[in-house]
Amino acid sequence: MTENVDHDLKVSYTRDETARQHFVSGMRSYILNHLAGNLRTVYAKKVEPAFKNKNKRAPKTAPEIHKALKDETVFKFYSALRCNTQEMVWRSVIPGVEREVDELAMRAKVLNQSDEKAKGTVRTDPKLQIPRNVSELDVHLMPGGYHEERVAGDVSQGAIYDNGLSVFAMGLLGPRMDDITQSVSTFFAKRYPDFKPRRILDLGCSIGHSSLPWKERYPEAEVFGIDVGAPLVRYAHARAQSYGVTAHFEQKDAENTGFADESFDVIYSCMFLHEVPKRGIRNIFKEARRLLKPGGVMLHYELPPNKMLTAYDGFYLDWDSFYNKEPYYKPFRDMDPEEECKVAGFKTSKFFQYVVPSMSFYGEKAVTEAVSHTKTEGDSNVGRFADGVRWYTFGAWKQ
Amino acid sequence: MFAAKVKKTQTKLRYGVKGKQIKFFDAQGVDELVSICMTLAQELWVVKERLATVEAAAAKKGVILGDEVEGYAFTPEQRAVMEEEKAKFIDRVFFTLREQSEALEIDAKDEPDPPKLP
Repeated sequence: MTENVDHDLKVSYTRDETARQHFVSGMRSYILNHLAGNLRTVYAKKVEPAFKNKNKRAPKTAPEIHKALKDETVFKFYSALRCNTQEMVWRSVIPGVEREVDELAMRAKVLNQSDEKAKGTVRTDPKLQIPRNVSELDVHLMPGGYHEERVAGDVSQGAIYDNGLSVFAMGLLGPRMDDITQSVSTFFAKRYPDFKPRRILDLGCSIGHSSLPWKERYPEAEVFGIDVGAPLVRYAHARAQSYGVTAHFEQKDAENTGFADESFDVIYSCMFLHEVPKRGIRNIFKEARRLLKPGGVMLHYELPPNKMLTAYDGFYLDWDSFYNKEPYYKPFRDMDPEEECKVAGFKTSKFFQYVVPSMSFYGEKAVTEAVSHTKTEGDSNVGRFADGVRWYTFGAWKQ
Repeated sequence: MFAAKVKKTQTKLRYGVKGKQIKFFDAQGVDELVSICMTLAQELWVVKERLATVEAAAAKKGVILGDEVEGYAFTPEQRAVMEEEKAKFIDRVFFTLREQSEALEIDAKDEPDPPKLP
């Protein structure tokens, strides 16, 4: 099994396959911690001075920096190694999933029908129109995306995502790879101690790793997760059942959920919006507002907006949009979250944004301390997936 | 809990990424060489990790491997397994070349474009 997949859908890997996965995690750590540093040095010591010499000023925007750097050998190697490593993440876990496709489908079916450890539910919708940003794109270079299915009750894309994430995370996301939502929900519960949600919805929930921490934080609440990928919701529910956490998963499009008006207290998403085109994001915000009860909250964990970062950090994060098959990543980061909440009908005075320290990296105490003094500007570690990461979150309350 | 007998379907998953291939180097073939070098590095690591395991496991039993490895002859059955492993190894190292032709066979005409390069 991969490092962080310890539930009943875990996959067996040979020693060599495991060694391949170790290599990929090691490569990622090397690229994101060391090569990224080399890239920044070459920029600061060579590319920026040359730009200043020629233009009598420093580059002002992320695209200017990108243009100035993209012909440098260090950028080409950084990029080529990152793309290859990203593909190797998935290729390192596919063989085990491929061997166990039928076994995984059977185990998921058993878990999904069992009420032994938890009493969640799962529902797929074969008529659901899969949006183009999912159906036509091997997003973040993941063969098969979130939706491809090959056998009855297939969960293989869920298994690829789960095991791949384990290799990808290099330990940064904690034992159940839910550090983002553990950190954000802990912060949120401490920041708003009087808020007691009864119904919580996680949009674009994938394997449900971002849904379950909400149940831990608010055990009385009902937790729902939706995703357009049928293999994902099947997998998410089976995973939750295996961990003994009651949660409900449905195959639905976040833009048009079909849930009743004012039926949720929290509408949450984690690492989801940047995979959706602008028009879709606007629809999702409107839909979230419709679904929220008065006094409820829309809350998104996301990559920080470009306007919050220096030009270099903006360039660094936008890399994925150009080269990692994440075309909506930069357009999302160019948006102004506050403005978009306003467009959806949320009052500007009800908007908030926070930077939350990673709980698995800094510890729970740091999260508690951040409640009283969170800063959002000029922090190179925000959203940067490497040692010392801090998570950006924003949202708005519905009056 | 999982007592049900599973019917195996010989299902094949997709290893290659569909749609437009991403390239960084101007000289033809350099991107592919980078991919191949990375896979070789990965496979070398696999060998080193396995060798370390073998040595550690043998040492635990008080066996220090040396000449025995040098003079070892595989049985025909072992040789057949090695041949199969070798074919898989080569396919993995040179995967990038297979991916390119496979990508042509998957309809991805409607793939969304990344933002325009600056």
